[in-house]
Amino acid sequence: MKGNSFGMGSLFDSDFLKKLEQFQLWSKIMTQDGGAGNRKSRAKGSSVEFSDYREYIMGDDFKKIDWNAYGRFKKLFIKLFMEERESPVQIFLDVSKSMDYGEPDKSIASRRLAAAIAYISLCNYDRVSIACVNDKIDKFKSSLRGKNSFKEVMSLLENIEYSGTTNIYETIAKYPFRFGKGVSLVISDFFCEGNYVDMIKYLQFKKQHVYVCHILSPQEISPEIGESVRLIDSETGMYREVAVSKNLLNMYNKAYQKFINTFEENSAKMGVHYMLMETSLPIEELIRMVVSKE
Amino acid sequence: MTFYSPWGFLALIGVPVIIIFYLLKQRHEDFTVSSLYLWEEVIKDLEANTSWQKLKKNTLMILQIIAVILLAFALSKPYLSHLESNIQNVVVVIDTSMSMQSKMGNKTRFDEAKAKAREYISNLKPNTYVTLVSMGKNIVIEESLSKNKSSLLNSLNSIEVTNTVLNTDDAKSTIYSIANQHPNTKVVLFGDQNFYIEGVDMEFSASFDEAENFAIINLSHTVTEKGITALSTIANYTQSDAKIPLSIYLDGKVYDAKYVDISPYETTNVYWNNLPESTNIIEVRIDKEDALNIDNVYWNVVEKGLGNKALLVSDGNVFIEKALALSNKVELYKTQPDENREFTGYDLYIFDGFLPENIPESGSIMIFNPPENQLFEIKETVEIPQIKELKGEVFKYVKEFDFSVGESKIVEVPLWAEEIIEYKEGSGGFMGDLNNQRILVIAFDIFKTDISITPAFPIFITNAMEWLLPSAIENIAGVNPKDSIIFNLHPGAEKAFVETPSKEVFEVAPPFPPRVFDRTEEPGVYTLVQKTSEGEIKYNFAVNVPSKYESDINKKVAVQEGNEDVREGQIVKTGRDIQSVFIWIIIIILLIEWWVYKNGV
Repeated sequence: MKGNSFGMGSLFDSDFLKKLEQFQLWSKIMTQDGGAGNRKSRAKGSSVEFSDYREYIMGDDFKKIDWNAYGRFKKLFIKLFMEERESPVQIFLDVSKSMDYGEPDKSIASRRLAAAIAYISLCNYDRVSIACVNDKIDKFKSSLRGKNSFKEVMSLLENIEYSGTTNIYETIAKYPFRFGKGVSLVISDFFCEGNYVDMIKYLQFKKQHVYVCHILSPQEISPEIGESVRLIDSETGMYREVAVSKNLLNMYNKAYQKFINTFEENSAKMGVHYMLMETSLPIEELIRMVVSKE
Repeated sequence: MTFYSPWGFLALIGVPVIIIFYLLKQRHEDFTVSSLYLWEEVIKDLEANTSWQKLKKNTLMILQIIAVILLAFALSKPYLSHLESNIQNVVVVIDTSMSMQSKMGNKTRFDEAKAKAREYISNLKPNTYVTLVSMGKNIVIEESLSKNKSSLLNSLNSIEVTNTVLNTDDAKSTIYSIANQHPNTKVVLFGDQNFYIEGVDMEFSASFDEAENFAIINLSHTVTEKGITALSTIANYTQSDAKIPLSIYLDGKVYDAKYVDISPYETTNVYWNNLPESTNIIEVRIDKEDALNIDNVYWNVVEKGLGNKALLVSDGNVFIEKALALSNKVELYKTQPDENREFTGYDLYIFDGFLPENIPESGSIMIFNPPENQLFEIKETVEIPQIKELKGEVFKYVKEFDFSVGESKIVEVPLWAEEIIEYKEGSGGFMGDLNNQRILVIAFDIFKTDISITPAFPIFITNAMEWLLPSAIENIAGVNPKDSIIFNLHPGAEKAFVETPSKEVFEVAPPFPPRVFDRTEEPGVYTLVQKTSEGEIKYNFAVNVPSKYESDINKKVAVQEGNEDVREGQIVKTGRDIQSVFIWIIIIILLIEWWVYKNGV
């Protein structure tokens, strides 16, 4: 597969896209509802992938009798196949202005991450929905299936305009999930007021397996700014004048740690996969972080 | 605290200027962050201790503002005042008399007084008018009503101590008139002797320290048959008995030495007998250091017979002869009246009841009981004239009732002369200067008065000799430093100059009459040299310090006058010009600022 064929030269190259196919995502997440997809379900079903044998019992489908086995063992065995069901994957991508920030830019890292997960999901015949969120649902694509749909993902991600303020908690809390059980991946810097726990509760109520990708640039983790600056909010344009001192930076560092700790603690409590992602990390590493949470 | 230049507060404009500069400087660099979400938290915390943060951050600005405020204060001439606020004029009086040369530790009273006066003037309110007066023998107004402190201090520095006696009377009248020119005038006296002037607001700053002093207060001599005898008077101005070593120098060479014991505050006469007759200059020294050394030496010049020849033309007048013999000024010759004789070659002619037809053309003339003549008119002869008044310096110390006259002629006083004896009936004598000849006329016959048997006669004769045969200088024994001398030069002198003890030469003539000589500051022996066609006439005179008046350096500082309160030496309060204090603080603050800037505190 040529990366360029997807027209995402700026975000992905073809080598990277090849790597994506190797990731085995969502191995732990076995959805039991929904249509048949490429996701292995715990329910034994009618997929081509063999799972186990068992002796025939009354009422079983004759079609599933393994006649080769009968020839060898003179017993009726039924082949059990993994029932493959589609897993709805919902990606919430923060597209507020604050996401277009940092070096490396959060917008690039977050879009690459979203694209990679969408691609992996599509390869596994999962139904993928992407919602671009700022203070509302800005754009979205839903129910994309199959690799061919990846073009639509590309087009969506490439044409994002970062604007507006983050209000991801409320926006997600109002998001109408049309499918049952599924996976929700939230990619954001979470620089906003609101209740993270409420958002998670809502997602879990909607039977979502929640992955939280907290993406931050190195400049946000440890700012390097001059002596006396006017800090301008990229979203609102509001500013605060500060004289930067060691003390101020220490205080920022404490505030940052508190911020992260709150996320980690709440996520742990809620059984949510929380990942702090620094944009300076290679994309493979970011994807691996998600995959390893399976 | 008073500010004498409130315009200095305009410098406070600098405060907002500094603040504006800081605000301009503090325009923050714009820095876009993704979100202020985290920063808000930080800033919220920061605002809890923001005032300290701001203070800390703006240490330099605060220091600069403090410096500017202090500068404004300094420029406004701040002054802490102890002086009564209505004092507009101050008269600073410095005593320059000889006693001010007394040592006080390493310095003299005069140095101390000057230092005190300097501090006093420096700390006066800036708008105070100061009159600076130095007082010794002469009272000098060095600066009048000046506000210019640097000029005042320069004048103060240039004042020098003298070897003279404090002329208290002149000082009082001068200070009184200055003090009464303007209301609200304070007089501050810096010296070792206080005095009080009625109606003047006076303060006294004493420069005084009890100290040991001995002095020679007089030296004179008499010529005896055995030679010269010198009499020196030594004073002990200390609280204890003293054994004072003395030595005598004759013409600059040591001749004798002795010790003298003197009780406290006593004087003792010390005689030096049988000194060689050839001696010209006698000098007595106290060979002991004390607080005032300048009064430890005294000079006396031995007057030689001056070679004045006097001719007494008389039928015989023993009274005049005897009286003249008392004076060592003249060498007396006698002759009988002789109409045909020509009288020349004498310095003085004394005609008794006789006058030649040709009056001598040179030399002074004294005439008793004159006959008719061409010089003046004789009016009549009166019996028992009543003396109304005796005038002129020839009758100094002689009173009208000291003698009486049995018979006298009445003379007409010519225009060139002054009347010296005034009878009710007319003039009984006169004296005057006619064509450089001094002429003294007494109209009565000595034998017809009782003057010759009274003490008035030798006095009169001595006075008459002084006037008729003047010394080169008058009052030869009593010249003190800074005295002015008018020399009576020899009639034949073509040029005259004075050599000082330090061998400086000052010409006094020509032109004639000679200039007043006042370069007598230095004590010692001066020489008047007169050059005549016949050669040089040298005449020595001594200038001695006024130790009789100035050497008692321990006399009470406070001098009581009348029943008014006596002010002891006190520390004169002025106030303080604190401009320099502010400037020092500014310098310290700037140093702190530099340190803060350097160390980035």
